[in-house]
Amino acid sequence: MSVAVMKTKAETSLDEDFQKLRDRLPGGSGVLAVRNAAHQLFAERGLPHRRIEEWKYTDLRNAMKEALPVSIGDETPVTIADLIVALGPFAHVDAQRVVFVNGNFRKELSSVDAQSGVSVESLADKLEASGDADSGLLGEFGEGAPDDDVIVALNTAYSTDGTVVQVEPGAKIEKPLLLVYMRAGREAAFTAVRNVIEVGAGAEAQIIEAFVSLPGAADAGQANAVTRISVADGAKVAHAKCAADHGGQVTHLGNWAVHLGKEAQYDGFQLTQGVSLARHQIFVTFGGENARLDLSGIFLGRNNDHIDTTLVVDHAVPSCESRELFKGVLDDRARGIFQGKIIVKQIAQKTDGKQMSQALLLSPDAEFDSKPELEIFADDVACGHGATCMELDHDLMFYCRSRGIPEDVARVLLIESFIGEAIEKIEDEAVREAFTASAVSWLAAKK
Amino acid sequence: MLEIKNLHARIVEEDKPILKGIDLVVPTGEVHAIMGPNGSGKSTLAYILAGRDDYEVTEGDILWNGESIVEMEPDERAAAGVFLAFQYPMEIPGVAGLTFLRTAVNAVRKKRDQDELTTPEFMKLVKQKAGELNIDIEMLKRPVNVGFSGGEKKRSEILQMSMLEPMLCVLDETDSGLDIDALKVVSDGVNALRSPERSMLVITHYQRLLNHIVPDKVHVLAHGKIQRSGGKELALELEKSGYAEFSEKAA
Ligand SMILES: Nc1ncnc2c1ncn2[C@@H]1O[C@H](COP(=O)(O)OP(=O)(O)OP(=O)(O)O)[C@@H](O)[C@H]1O
Ligand SMILES: [Mg+2]
Repeated sequence: MSVAVMKTKAETSLDEDFQKLRDRLPGGSGVLAVRNAAHQLFAERGLPHRRIEEWKYTDLRNAMKEALPVSIGDETPVTIADLIVALGPFAHVDAQRVVFVNGNFRKELSSVDAQSGVSVESLADKLEASGDADSGLLGEFGEGAPDDDVIVALNTAYSTDGTVVQVEPGAKIEKPLLLVYMRAGREAAFTAVRNVIEVGAGAEAQIIEAFVSLPGAADAGQANAVTRISVADGAKVAHAKCAADHGGQVTHLGNWAVHLGKEAQYDGFQLTQGVSLARHQIFVTFGGENARLDLSGIFLGRNNDHIDTTLVVDHAVPSCESRELFKGVLDDRARGIFQGKIIVKQIAQKTDGKQMSQALLLSPDAEFDSKPELEIFADDVACGHGATCMELDHDLMFYCRSRGIPEDVARVLLIESFIGEAIEKIEDEAVREAFTASAVSWLAAKK
Repeated sequence: MLEIKNLHARIVEEDKPILKGIDLVVPTGEVHAIMGPNGSGKSTLAYILAGRDDYEVTEGDILWNGESIVEMEPDERAAAGVFLAFQYPMEIPGVAGLTFLRTAVNAVRKKRDQDELTTPEFMKLVKQKAGELNIDIEMLKRPVNVGFSGGEKKRSEILQMSMLEPMLCVLDETDSGLDIDALKVVSDGVNALRSPERSMLVITHYQRLLNHIVPDKVHVLAHGKIQRSGGKELALELEKSGYAEFSEKAA
């Protein structure tokens, strides 16, 4: 029994915004019914708070006191030159771009090659065009992922747009697909976007999500992003996300639901920097044997940044392999959280799962909380996890400085060395360099 | 010129005195060797010259070209020309050797008011110097010293040294771990740096190295003090007699 609690200011304003805006959101009446149901779930439960086990380190109800006005039909002028600036190192990746500004698709900034076997569409266009046939794009979070997550429900209710990608069996996306979600303009806004990516059997795709902001954008922003990705039998996907903002009061609520077929291979990566409040939820379900998951990430926090990565990996079938490596660098009073749950179902014999989280604390006031959880019901498995907290290596610092490298440069070098192990997981060299450059720019930005 | 005057030093953490009044002068252009039993304080002296803050100078002074360097940070000393080749070079995972070298070389050049090297200039220089030391350039694309053999690490130290063009070279047991051919290559590398402007302090346990790098003087460090100094023949004498003489003296 949940006791009715007073709605917070944020909850009230999100509720009111929905009543006001729902008729303007893309989709027909079937889609609206899905949105209404999701909104109902949110209205009943409210924002998650610390008494909910999965949210004990991130009291969102308390941290997100106010909700910014929901962005809909945004028309902030943005040029290609602006886009290049906002993309920073990601501008150098030779990619097809699908660009959204404040949650709205911008065709004139996008460049998608026509390729047989591959379709890339705006979610809003698709919902508008198909009437109710595509309401499932919003209705389902992902096979195996929870269907009552409040943050996902909030996304379902409000999604203005997103990218729908379909790769037919055997096809291969030629160039990486770069999905750009940009904050721009002086209006601080709440945006909700949703991506649905389906990679057919034996197909290959490389997808990058970049959540960036244009210099001069409002100091505050709130984003709720959902990506559902299914990797069919024998398909191979590299999926990387960068949530890189410029420091103000920026909240990022990210949600990935990944479903892997037989012999599928999925490499996922996440970088978070310059975001004051982040919660990344990643749900992975193994749906076929001999699939491989390699998930890694880097979170960089300073000032009062709070970055939470919570993942659930469900080994629901035998003989799959999962690897997770998350590394955080925390300065000032920043706080990092890593919760990694690995479930091994009774039938999932021969599961091989290993998880590691590490944080480098640069200040005595920084904090890292790690909560690994193994729920193993099978007996013939190899599973392990570890978590460590460390400081910059004093001896290595001396070694660098004895070679004439000043302290600040040596710090950056040694932090790069620390996060390098996770970044190296990105196979594509150009993409890896973009992520490295992004992280390095954050490291060097310290006054 | 390096002048060490009545140097006393201790380990900060343990409050343990290690150096108990070292007096030593290495004139510009000279190469001096330091020998001495294990644990006598040779590496400690080398670290203190380079500015490691695990040690504290409690008395005395270190003058480099007439100025005290005791209060200087390690990177300032490097810019002033001090270089220590470590007895145990460290590994830096995730940082490519070339990146490390280039960062170091340009940091030092900047502080010395020299132009920073462009990528082609740097590559040309590093290829030439690595070639002289029989170091494969591919090895420098790997993270600094990670997975290197003992001998490879020592060679990589000497490469760093020749790239940074120091004026005071302190070599801490650079010969240990080197095979016979590598010893020759490394010694040639060190000898190539010998010049009338440069001073060198070579710490070793073996007279053999001093056949290749012939010192102007040899000092024996035991129990935190220079116990005896002499010409290069002192090394030969020690080879025969060992350090028994000095342990008695201390007792
Ligand atoms: N960080 C430290 N903590 C504790 N003791 C130390 C530390 N550094 C040096 N010592 C001690 O100081 C003494 C001198 O050590 P040092 O390494 O200078 O000797 P060394 O002459 O270089 O010996 P070797 O020939 O074996 O290399 C030794 O007794 C050693 O154990
Ligand atoms: Mg020693």
